[in-house]
Amino acid sequence: MMLERGDIGGYIPAPDDDLLVCRCEEISQGEIRRAIHDGLFTLTELRRFLRTGMGLCQGQTCGRLVKAIVAKELGVSPAELEPITARSPVRPVEMRVLARNQEQKNG
Amino acid sequence: MKRYDVLVVGAGPAGLSAAVEAARLGLRVAVYDENARPGGQLFKQIHKFFGSREHKAKIRGNKIGEELLQEAAAAGVEVMLNAAVIGVFAEKEVAVRVNEQILCRQADALIIATGASENMVNFPGWTLPGVLGAGAAQTMMNLHGVKPGERILLLGSGNVGLVVSYQLLQAGCAVVAVVDALPRIGGYGVHAAKIARCGVPFYTSHTIVRAEGVNQVTGAVIGELDKDRKIIPGSEKHLAVDTICLAVGLSPLSLLCALAGCAMEDNPAKSGYVPLVNRYGETSVAGIFAAGDVSGIEEASAAMIEGRIAGLAAAQRLGFLTQEDLDARVAVQERALASLRQGMFAPGSRGQTFTATTEGCPLSQNLLRQGYLTDTELSAYPGVVWAEGLHPIIECTQNIPCNPCRDACPKQCITVGATAGQITALPIFDAQKGCTGCGLCVAACSGQAIFLVDEEAGEITLPYEFLPLPQKGEQGLALGRSGQEICAAEVVDVKTAKVFDQTNLLTIRVPVQYARQARFFRRAP
Ligand SMILES: Cc1cc2nc3c(=O)[nH]c(=O)nc-3n(C[C@H](O)[C@H](O)[C@H](O)COP(=O)(O)OP(=O)(O)OC[C@H]3O[C@@H](n4cnc5c(N)ncnc54)[C@H](O)[C@@H]3O)c2cc1C
Ligand code: SF4
Ligand code: SF4
Repeated sequence: MMLERGDIGGYIPAPDDDLLVCRCEEISQGEIRRAIHDGLFTLTELRRFLRTGMGLCQGQTCGRLVKAIVAKELGVSPAELEPITARSPVRPVEMRVLARNQEQKNG
Repeated sequence: MKRYDVLVVGAGPAGLSAAVEAARLGLRVAVYDENARPGGQLFKQIHKFFGSREHKAKIRGNKIGEELLQEAAAAGVEVMLNAAVIGVFAEKEVAVRVNEQILCRQADALIIATGASENMVNFPGWTLPGVLGAGAAQTMMNLHGVKPGERILLLGSGNVGLVVSYQLLQAGCAVVAVVDALPRIGGYGVHAAKIARCGVPFYTSHTIVRAEGVNQVTGAVIGELDKDRKIIPGSEKHLAVDTICLAVGLSPLSLLCALAGCAMEDNPAKSGYVPLVNRYGETSVAGIFAAGDVSGIEEASAAMIEGRIAGLAAAQRLGFLTQEDLDARVAVQERALASLRQGMFAPGSRGQTFTATTEGCPLSQNLLRQGYLTDTELSAYPGVVWAEGLHPIIECTQNIPCNPCRDACPKQCITVGATAGQITALPIFDAQKGCTGCGLCVAACSGQAIFLVDEEAGEITLPYEFLPLPQKGEQGLALGRSGQEICAAEVVDVKTAKVFDQTNLLTIRVPVQYARQARFFRRAP
């Protein structure tokens, strides 16, 4: 699937665009739809740009919802979308814990 | 860096079973779980499980969890709690967060058994306090003794939705409606029937339109869906509820597998993004296994078997078991797995519609839509034999993997399938075998689908799991299968016994003409 910006038409506001999708980062359906129509076609790009699924729950709540929105806008099935890149840590870890770990490693 | 032979991530039924098998063969095994208590989902499951004896059927989930933990301790498994695995790196090195520390561990084999997370749906008002996942509701009630709310709307009629609805009733909540967008109930008919007769209405082909409220949920609006899954204008209905429970499916928690470099697929039949595994549960990375819900949403019974297989295979990979030995043991487990994966609810049957059982009995459409069998439909099934005197009426009418009723009967009055492996067949009652009316089948039935009926006396003995227990001599109302009030009833006996495992047998007397209909007892307010 090689879609270019504009291939899926411009962003048209929908009545339920103010519906919240990613609770942790407070991102609405409209923001996601607009970003898709601006050319962000992958889940990874959306994560970088909007921070969907980057909050406390790490996408456990909104992952499927975001995927469904992207699939719908692109007119494909959700299973066809490239999955997000898995990265460590898969659970949120405070910086102080990471820092201490680094100290231990170095010291 | 601390090393193990086998490191298991997740102390649910899959992970614990894997650890037990590997440790019993002499391997050094550790299980890490991010939760404060082990057992995964099992510790919330206070209901009796399906399956057959080898799958620990009839035993309540929390008890199965305790048994697994004892087995793990006896086998010398190290179980580490409050330990979240946050990364998997090359050479099977894992990073674990424990309190304020990040520990690095390495193992020769890694078994990922991280289970699943609950799916969410969003609708206007879904972020209000009072909207929660069914699993969260279960944790509140069954682990912490806290009622999630007073008046509940349950969205989703799969087994999780049905089981949680029942447990909400047990906790003393009112379940105002069970709503499902599909035109039929997704879970087992016996689970649906057990809440329908308590008066819970089902709304199939319906969905939630919005949650109402400012600071918390104070109501909900549902609407009926047409063929194109659009709300039919004018079908909206307001429900006075303070809690909305979502039971709309689970997704495999498979990120660690992806991180480990395992080949993955997005497979709707497995409910999401899962690692590709072979017959041993081994992923594309040699020595890394996946077992349980993480490799496809199923049930605890299947998760335990997959866990055992992965544990055995890991042992073989490390030289603790020969290939022949492994294959012989795995074949036994595969048979147990195959017996579970039959019938209309099997993973391979998803998306198909069934109109009859494998025996050729018509499936009750009313049970599929409303959650109860009608009086006229009942006689079509082999467990329903209107004999003289006291005898069981087995209202189990779908091919589900379950047979504790057969094992419970000391007189062999009940058979399920021609061979031991056929556990999805409908139970058959044989009136010639001399039923003594002992009631063991009533208490053993995981679906609470068996009633002892004495038509001449107008007496019905039913399974009862609500507190406080009614007293002998108490007057109340008899409810029919749909939960409607049908007549006055008197409690003539209440039996509680250790073998019944907290399912009490309540015998009520009703006017004889209602003996075929009365299926629940409602206490006088
Ligand atoms: C309401 C309900 C009713 C059910 N009823 C039945 C039933 O009657 N019969 C039946 O057979 N099944 C039933 N099930 C299904 C069953 O509970 C699950 O299929 C089963 O628990 C899956 O087992 P598992 O070991 O794969 O995962 P889980 O039980 O989910 O265990 C996974 C464990 O992994 C841990 N974990 C996850 N990620 C990490 C990490 N990164 N680091 C460390 N630990 C981690 C979790 O804390 C958890 O303890 C029911 C489920 C629900 C929700
Ligand atoms: S009541 Fe007792 S004897 Fe009769 S079928 Fe049930 S278990 Fe068997
Ligand atoms: S009647 Fe038998 S097969 Fe049916 S739910 Fe009860 S125990 Fe299981």
